[in-house]
Amino acid sequence: MNETSNQLAERVLHRIEAEDVHPRPRWEFLLKNYTFWTVGAVAVTLGAVAFSAALFEVENTTWRLYMATHPNLFSFVLAVAPFLWVIALAVFILLGYVNIRHTNRGYRYPLLLIAAGAVLTSVTLGSALYAAGYGGRVEEALGSIPPFYRPILQQEHGWWLNPNRGLLGGVVMSVASAASSSPLGFVLKDFSGHLWKIDGADLRGIDLTILARGGTVRVVGVPVVGPTSSSTVFHACFVFPWRVFGLGSRPPSSPVAVFSSSTERMSGIARSDVCRGIRPYKQLRDLDENGF
Amino acid sequence: MPGESTDEEVVRRTITDKDAFAELIGRYEAKLGRYLERLGLGVREDREDVLQNVFIKAYRNLNSFDPSLSFSSWIYRIAHNEAMSFFRARRARPQVVLGDDSDFLLSELRDEHADSTRAAERRLSREELSRALVAIDPQYREVLILRFFDDRSYTEISDILQVPLGTVSTLIYRAKRALRAALPNAFIL
Repeated sequence: MNETSNQLAERVLHRIEAEDVHPRPRWEFLLKNYTFWTVGAVAVTLGAVAFSAALFEVENTTWRLYMATHPNLFSFVLAVAPFLWVIALAVFILLGYVNIRHTNRGYRYPLLLIAAGAVLTSVTLGSALYAAGYGGRVEEALGSIPPFYRPILQQEHGWWLNPNRGLLGGVVMSVASAASSSPLGFVLKDFSGHLWKIDGADLRGIDLTILARGGTVRVVGVPVVGPTSSSTVFHACFVFPWRVFGLGSRPPSSPVAVFSSSTERMSGIARSDVCRGIRPYKQLRDLDENGF
Repeated sequence: MPGESTDEEVVRRTITDKDAFAELIGRYEAKLGRYLERLGLGVREDREDVLQNVFIKAYRNLNSFDPSLSFSSWIYRIAHNEAMSFFRARRARPQVVLGDDSDFLLSELRDEHADSTRAAERRLSREELSRALVAIDPQYREVLILRFFDDRSYTEISDILQVPLGTVSTLIYRAKRALRAALPNAFIL
């Protein structure tokens, strides 16, 4: 040790003495490191929750009926794209990445490895959460908080609670006549609790199968008295199922009717002029005939 | 020296006996002083102040040292941070002063090109190399200093700059390219 070193060592030790400097306790550093790991892990987990909600939103979007509910595909995509969840996922993954990067040896892992690891963990865990039925609960519970966001099922309910535009959704309460020779009618309870008498004379094979299963359905048709009236009678042209995915296993709805497969209704004869005027008749008919 | 304690052993001793810290200061004062000088701390008084702060900070954070990593990299990291804080606080432009140990870097630059005859026509002065080092990105300058002047391994550079190992190779490659571009035309190798 030369003279200069001695001088510096003396000055440093003197400052340590004068300023009463002590080594900070080990637990402080351990706590800091564990905090980074914990925040990183929590962020990635929250990313997974956001992903499960995004998955729920995408899975429960009725892409095949966009032409009935929206003027074009673009406006439909704008309405249903899970922007909120994708942004939340990105923010949490970034937060997870930054925290893991700041752990003791976090800098040693390549950026791509940490980023891909965070994304993969969020996606895998998010898919598992979705499969376990948590995606829907998160989407509905947290999605109700921001004023600019509406959960997907609420959006769908809104679109299908629009009889003036020929869109009606709700639960089949009863089928008035399942006999092949008499006119078919059924009662539907919409999402606001109103009961509708539905004239089903124009319904065909697949519509009836869906109707027979009971539960929640979508009906495309025409209000019988006119858009300005408070009519609760609706002429049905098409019936589509209303399936909700990602809410865990639920008991199936009880069948409300049985239709004979050899009836005239099961054949593919054309619907009346009342239905031909609805928009977009041809696409809906193709969808109805080829299966939803 | 046979029987000499390792850095890690001295660190352990220092936790309970602060006078043992003098031994670590003795081991690293000259190395870190040269490192800080090459980073651009050209004024001796500034350098000594920064060096003092480096050791005080090292002492205060001794318990954060992970013995599975090298102490040398750990204290170089502190010196790096202190130097950066100094430049930020002073808004000072680094003044790189090189010694006669710049030949390693020059030979490294030449080795990558088979035809070194043109470069050999005129000897590059230390001042010209210093100017080129000042002109390039600070991150590139530092990686070149650590690799070619302080003779640090890639793993040590990774620990000092806290970047992944793969990034060190990329940085060195880009730094050499940037340095070549910053050299006077006569020395474009």
